[in-house]
Amino acid sequence: MSRAALAFLLCCVLPAGTGSGALAADKPSLRVLVVENAPPMSFRDELGHLTGFSVEIARAICSEMRVNCVFDAVKQGELLPLMSQGKADIAAAGLLETPERRSRILFAGPYYRSISLWVARAGVSPGQAGVRVAVVGGSAQEAYGQKQGWPTVAVATHGELAAPLISGEAQAVLVPMITAINLQKNRAFRQLDLVTTVFQAPELSGDASFGISPYRPELQKEINAALVRIKRNGTYDRINSRFLPFRVS
Amino acid sequence: MIKAFKAVRASRAFAFLAALFVAAFGAAVVLLALDQQRVIEATSRLQEQTVPEIIRFQRLARNLEQLRQEGERIFAVSTHASRQQSVFVVTLIASHPSILEHPPAAHLARETEHFLGEVVRQASTDARRPAASYDEWQRIAARLGMLVDDVSVQGVNLANNDLNVVTSAMKLARYKLMTALLLVGVFLLVFMILVRRHLIYPLQQINLALSTLSAERPAPEFKPSTMLEIQVVEDSLREHHALLIQNDEARLGLEKLANKDGLTGLMNRRHFMQSAEVELQRAQRYRRPVTMAMADLDLFKRLNDTYGHAAGDAVLRAFAELVQDTLRQSDLVCRYGGEEFAFLFPEIGPAETEKLAERLRERCAAMQVPLPDGRSIMATVSIGLADASECPIEIALKHADEALYEAKRLGRNRVVQSDPHVPVIESEPDTHTGSLF
Repeated sequence: MSRAALAFLLCCVLPAGTGSGALAADKPSLRVLVVENAPPMSFRDELGHLTGFSVEIARAICSEMRVNCVFDAVKQGELLPLMSQGKADIAAAGLLETPERRSRILFAGPYYRSISLWVARAGVSPGQAGVRVAVVGGSAQEAYGQKQGWPTVAVATHGELAAPLISGEAQAVLVPMITAINLQKNRAFRQLDLVTTVFQAPELSGDASFGISPYRPELQKEINAALVRIKRNGTYDRINSRFLPFRVS
Repeated sequence: MIKAFKAVRASRAFAFLAALFVAAFGAAVVLLALDQQRVIEATSRLQEQTVPEIIRFQRLARNLEQLRQEGERIFAVSTHASRQQSVFVVTLIASHPSILEHPPAAHLARETEHFLGEVVRQASTDARRPAASYDEWQRIAARLGMLVDDVSVQGVNLANNDLNVVTSAMKLARYKLMTALLLVGVFLLVFMILVRRHLIYPLQQINLALSTLSAERPAPEFKPSTMLEIQVVEDSLREHHALLIQNDEARLGLEKLANKDGLTGLMNRRHFMQSAEVELQRAQRYRRPVTMAMADLDLFKRLNDTYGHAAGDAVLRAFAELVQDTLRQSDLVCRYGGEEFAFLFPEIGPAETEKLAERLRERCAAMQVPLPDGRSIMATVSIGLADASECPIEIALKHADEALYEAKRLGRNRVVQSDPHVPVIESEPDTHTGSLF
């Protein structure tokens, strides 16, 4: 009797299970790019799982949109080429909207507001002769430094920014504020006793947004709506508190 | 003409009223819809703009609170590195757009940043300095705390404006709704009054008039109605009443024709028998005297043969006129057949009747009936009387007939009383007189 009941239950449950699986498989996954080694925005935790402010915001948005998202960590410099080639749907990184970027990819609504910081020894000012500026390759800060004609030392990931200063290869660093928060956690970096000043350049502060593939313009509206929802339902603030010391929206 | 001008079709009048109501109620609904639109706009503004603004204020308050916490940490910790970390966060917060866009917060955050920066800088050289600055920090921290409260309240107050708009719109909508309901109520009341006055009441009057409509009563009177349909029915009713009277007159005419003898204009035998029966019963019920009589013109056959039937008819007509002239209004008389007449004299007994009959006989004997050829003829009548106060009409008639027979036998032109003691011969037919000629 119980065996018959079990068989009946299996008959009922199995098709449903495979059906829902087929449904989930039918729904196309979104490929999401995150920046590798950029704590606290995106990094791998002790178990090797991708996490961070941007990653979790992206996950929350995917969940709101009820889509599966597949995450890939790439270097900052690879973000734009991959996105513009349509090899990914979303770039879950705090991208400042620059004209060059705007011509290659689409932008979602802002998910936080950023400023850029100039961190250097006291008396070392931007544009000073002989000052090499450490930046992350592919970042808006790198583009700005190059545009100003400064000698720059580009590193591949945000996590490597401290090294050129510690080694003396660079005398200053121009970084987004959240990267600077992480730099401050580096003891060797702290011991350099550098002075932090807010870098006053309109193109290096303001709204930071996710990038969207130019081949998926329909995603823009959905992502923005999901962002509005998570900002209202508390999800956003919980993620903010989890990774950052203050409200960045 | 004026009445016709004033009259309106009920359907049009009520359609006009309904249109008026629809217009008024429609206007109320439109006004209500406008209020509803205001509510929708205010609530969507609350959702789309105000709620994000409130959240923004909450985040600003959170950052100000964070500033205060970082400040406390600077005074609480002993390592320079921790202090530097906190000052760094303070710098970031003080420079963040979320703080900068709120002038009082930006000002206080900048002040806090300078103060804490200075504290940390001095602490790096003199570890005792932070404690000395703690009082001042307390004042700044208190100001930060108050600003947190202000910003929180400011955020919540943003919702108040929208809610006030919603509340006032809803209140207004409530008044409008009440007005609309009042309008509906008043309209229904007016509608019912008008229906009652112009439809139900006239219909009741028509119903009353219909139930009592007869030729005996006067034509129904109606108050002038403004409703054409009612007027039409009332007019029909009046026409119907006129028709009833016409019919009644026609009926009476026919009845008279049916009850009269065609030649003499007196009652015919059938009608006499009906009327006399009623009268006789009445008299017997009240024990009143009543007398029956039979009369027959003497030698009428010979008169007919001598002068012709036209002369006979003239004599019959003249005798009928004489009878009507001589007898009382209440006496009943009919042409019983041929030249024979039957009478019923209510309220008088045989003795008085005899006087009356005698007078009739005398006047008949004195009567001269002129003929068209200039001659005139005379006729006499024999009359038999019988008391009818205690016997059925047939018996009384039979007695009278017997008395008449007796009068004929005794030589005609006389009045004979029936002898009440002579028994009635039931088997004898009542047409003895016919055998005389």
